[in-house]
Amino acid sequence: MSKADKIKILYVDDEVNNLNGFRASFRFDYNVLIANNTDEAVNHLNQNSDIRVILCDQRMPDKSGVQFFQEIRNEYPNPIRMLITGYTDIESVIDAINRGNIFRYIKKPWTDADIQSAIDEGNKFYLTNNMLAIKNEELQKAYNELDKFAYSVSHDMRGPLLSILGAVEVAKSIDNISEIKEMLELMHKSVQKLDDLIQNVHEYYNLKRGELQISEINFNDVIVGLKDFFDMTGKMSNVKFATVVNQQETFRSDEVCLKIILNNLLSNAFKYQRKNNGDKFVELNVEVNRGNVLIYVKDNGLGIDDIHINNIFNMFFRATSEEIGSGFGLYNVKDALRKLNGEISVDSKINEGTTFKVIIPSK
Amino acid sequence: MIGHKLNFIVIDDSKLDCFIAEKIIRNTGRSENIRSFLDGADALDYISKTLVPADETKTILIVDIQMPVMNGFEFVEAFEKFPKEIQDNYIIFVLSSSINENDLNRVRNYPSVKHFLNKPLTSNTLSALLEWV
Repeated sequence: MSKADKIKILYVDDEVNNLNGFRASFRFDYNVLIANNTDEAVNHLNQNSDIRVILCDQRMPDKSGVQFFQEIRNEYPNPIRMLITGYTDIESVIDAINRGNIFRYIKKPWTDADIQSAIDEGNKFYLTNNMLAIKNEELQKAYNELDKFAYSVSHDMRGPLLSILGAVEVAKSIDNISEIKEMLELMHKSVQKLDDLIQNVHEYYNLKRGELQISEINFNDVIVGLKDFFDMTGKMSNVKFATVVNQQETFRSDEVCLKIILNNLLSNAFKYQRKNNGDKFVELNVEVNRGNVLIYVKDNGLGIDDIHINNIFNMFFRATSEEIGSGFGLYNVKDALRKLNGEISVDSKINEGTTFKVIIPSK
Repeated sequence: MIGHKLNFIVIDDSKLDCFIAEKIIRNTGRSENIRSFLDGADALDYISKTLVPADETKTILIVDIQMPVMNGFEFVEAFEKFPKEIQDNYIIFVLSSSINENDLNRVRNYPSVKHFLNKPLTSNTLSALLEWV
């Protein structure tokens, strides 16, 4: 067992002989930290947030073990506290246990087996507690997302539908064919917005529930499919699209996640262009190097305001009223990257353009 | 009897919804001037630069709730910071697809908001409301 896999424990005692004896007995089974006084112990606690069990002698010159545990309890609630004491201190021990400061006490003189079983019990308790805290946090996050989701679905799904409903109602009383056509164009956009949203919701659930399917990725093949689609988009909106792929080594990843990332970043780059810019472009650069893929998606479009840049990866956040957007795309990108252990950063200047940089390690 | 003329400002991030609102407003026969803004900040800017008309024509503000950048609540809060003589010139109707109770309660708490309307806006509801203006 390497040092990193061992349970980290802290032993506090004012007698150096006890400390050394303890360390000699247990250093093969545990990652043992020792402290000669309570100040030293607090130092260890500050530097090692992963200490799982603290064993402390009751009789020390500066303060008793019970006092020490009472003091650290609020600031370091996670480690399991155990008191080592002779029989004569039993009153204070009972008191401390009853007040919840101590998980268990070990009688002096102890045997190795006593200590071992106490630490193993303590460790189990520690893991259960921690697991519970982590699960609770995850659950809370899931609830919050669900709330946002339900709220937004009522608006984002109903919105376009109600627009169309209103338009149909108004159109009934219009005779002018060119006005009707203008309305049809706007209705078309509403339908598209709704369809985009439904596709994003589909992606969202693929990401949340789906297992990763790792396979060898040839970026040239992936890009060919994307290029066909985005070349067409580019032609319609007058945006030049350039791609560079440089892959000399094998790369393993989940193709669905990669496509979600590329698709969303590219469609944003095409969408958020400056209408009056005569030289609109989008560039995609993919480079596989030493087990990582580095992806740049660059445009010279609207750019993102500094005050919004920290929010762009949040669910349903939209930084602009220009163009249709569901506020879902970049959230899905971030989620996909989380699954692939990837990272994303953004560099943007308003009215100059935006560059997204993505790094994903090969699986 | 056809009532006196009114100005209208529509604030909605959906172009289609602005378009529908403009049509319906025009059909009421009450409109003097109609303006649409996709962004609340632009509307605030416009209001701050608009002088009170000599004939005291009131302006109806029709405001959507959920909009990017500045939502309807933020718009109303900013509007309520204008001096009273400017505010008195406007009547706010909030128009939304929201069926969320919290949203509705929140809207009721703004003194400047006179009515809450559900989307889609129809000629009948708007005409009926304007009878009271």
